[in-house]
Amino acid sequence: MITVSNLTKKYGNKTALSNVSFDVQDGEILGFLGPNGAGKSTTMNIITGYISYTEGSVKIDGFDILENPVEVKKRIGYLPEIPPLYLDMTVSEYLKFVYELKKVETDSSEKHMQDIINLVGINDVKNRKIGNLSKGYRQRVGLAGALTGDPEVLILDEPTVGLDPKQIIEIRNVIKELGKKKTIILSSHILSEISAVCDRVIIINNGKLIAEDTPLNLAHKLGDSHRMVFKVSGSADMAENILKSFGGVSEVIRISSDGDIHEFEFDTTMDSSERKQLFFKFAENEIPILEQRETEVSLEDIFLKLTKEERNESNI
Amino acid sequence: MRAIFKREFNSYFTSLLGYVFLTIFLLLTGAMFTIVNVFQYQTANMTYFFASINNIAVFFLPLLTMRLFSEDRKLKTDQLLMTAPVSVRDIVLGKFFAAVCVLLIGTAITIIYPIILMFFGELPIAETISCYVGFVLLCSVILSIGAFMSSVTESQIVAAVSTYGIIIFMMLLSTLAQLISNEAVSGALLWLSPIQRFSDFSLGIFDFEPIIYYLTVTGLFLFLTMTVFEKRRLR
Repeated sequence: MITVSNLTKKYGNKTALSNVSFDVQDGEILGFLGPNGAGKSTTMNIITGYISYTEGSVKIDGFDILENPVEVKKRIGYLPEIPPLYLDMTVSEYLKFVYELKKVETDSSEKHMQDIINLVGINDVKNRKIGNLSKGYRQRVGLAGALTGDPEVLILDEPTVGLDPKQIIEIRNVIKELGKKKTIILSSHILSEISAVCDRVIIINNGKLIAEDTPLNLAHKLGDSHRMVFKVSGSADMAENILKSFGGVSEVIRISSDGDIHEFEFDTTMDSSERKQLFFKFAENEIPILEQRETEVSLEDIFLKLTKEERNESNI
Repeated sequence: MRAIFKREFNSYFTSLLGYVFLTIFLLLTGAMFTIVNVFQYQTANMTYFFASINNIAVFFLPLLTMRLFSEDRKLKTDQLLMTAPVSVRDIVLGKFFAAVCVLLIGTAITIIYPIILMFFGELPIAETISCYVGFVLLCSVILSIGAFMSSVTESQIVAAVSTYGIIIFMMLLSTLAQLISNEAVSGALLWLSPIQRFSDFSLGIFDFEPIIYYLTVTGLFLFLTMTVFEKRRLR
């Protein structure tokens, strides 16, 4: 459905994107992951025809964005990072404007818009001025605008930013529901969001594509290493020595100490039998484990890991 | 283009801008009509009225154009327009015609003045019609310059002030022409000045040259506005 090949974008001397290529299949939800300023929005702006590129090509449904911009734009619904809303219009006026702007042809514009209004849950604010709405509602109105005309491709730039947790779950469910019929590119800098919704993930950093895989495989790629937190009571030095004596444990850090209660964080690749030994070793030394938990693998960890690998590869 | 035109036109009247413009415009033309036609010259000839209104009316036109494109850039709504299946030409023309339409409403209301004059004197019909045509054409030149200025900046203030700058420069052209002794140069300056061009209309002769001149300048600035859009995309 979407083919991006060797995309390069330069702003003067600054390279915003360099040689990015990827495909999105029909009906797939692709996650676009990267820190702020990595080039996510730039890529999306190029795919939607808002800005041009320096080199490469973008094709939607076989149509080139430069040769057939109108055909491409008809097929895309775009929700930019800042929803493009006219604050002096009411929600229904705005959606009606988008409907006419996109030259949508349906049997009944009223029904088409009401369906979208119900889907994103803005029925109770539809006669209010957009300027008076909260950030969460504005985001939804923007999403409704992108959905107008029932486009085959949806491009959503950080659709859940600024929403409260309840709204985030609602919007996620809407996106999942839409993904059954549509091709979606979704960007985010929150890992859990991407893994909750997407079939495939692309990680982008400094304008370069550094990884492309399913969320599950990506986690595997990162190795079986887990980051653990232990809270123990007793001698801090002894506890640290015990941890360090195990081969499967690395990068031990003492996070905090409060009297004789200490907190440690470490990477571990131990299997269950080794874990048992670790438990008994602490018990032998009369250092009770008060708490143990696994910390979530954060986006930072993935980046550190992937960029580290990249550096190692380039050294070879 | 219809959708953009409709939205833009309505936005003049959902905000205060349209009303403010029409109020000032009618207040000013009404005052000028009373002063020039009723008291000063006591004539039914609208030429004097237009001669004095032109120099002042042009200063209110940037009110209509200053936010045309700059606001879109600031609010990022240009992302909606540019990623919708409409051409840059439709965007620019739709917005420009919305501004022209508000001006036309104001101008249409001023037709009351010649109608009043018809009761009290002999109204030179041909001159009046050609004055109206010339006035609208001159104003559309100013509006297209305002639209262009609005497309190059994100700030409405900068757009308005730079449009004023160009208007003042245009007005100075004819003053400058009088100071220059070289006839070829002063003639060229007068030929270039859109405001000077208006005198052709006040004679009531329907000459195509000034009409084509006004339309060309309007078209040129609208074309430049479209170019700004395209350039920004390629940046």
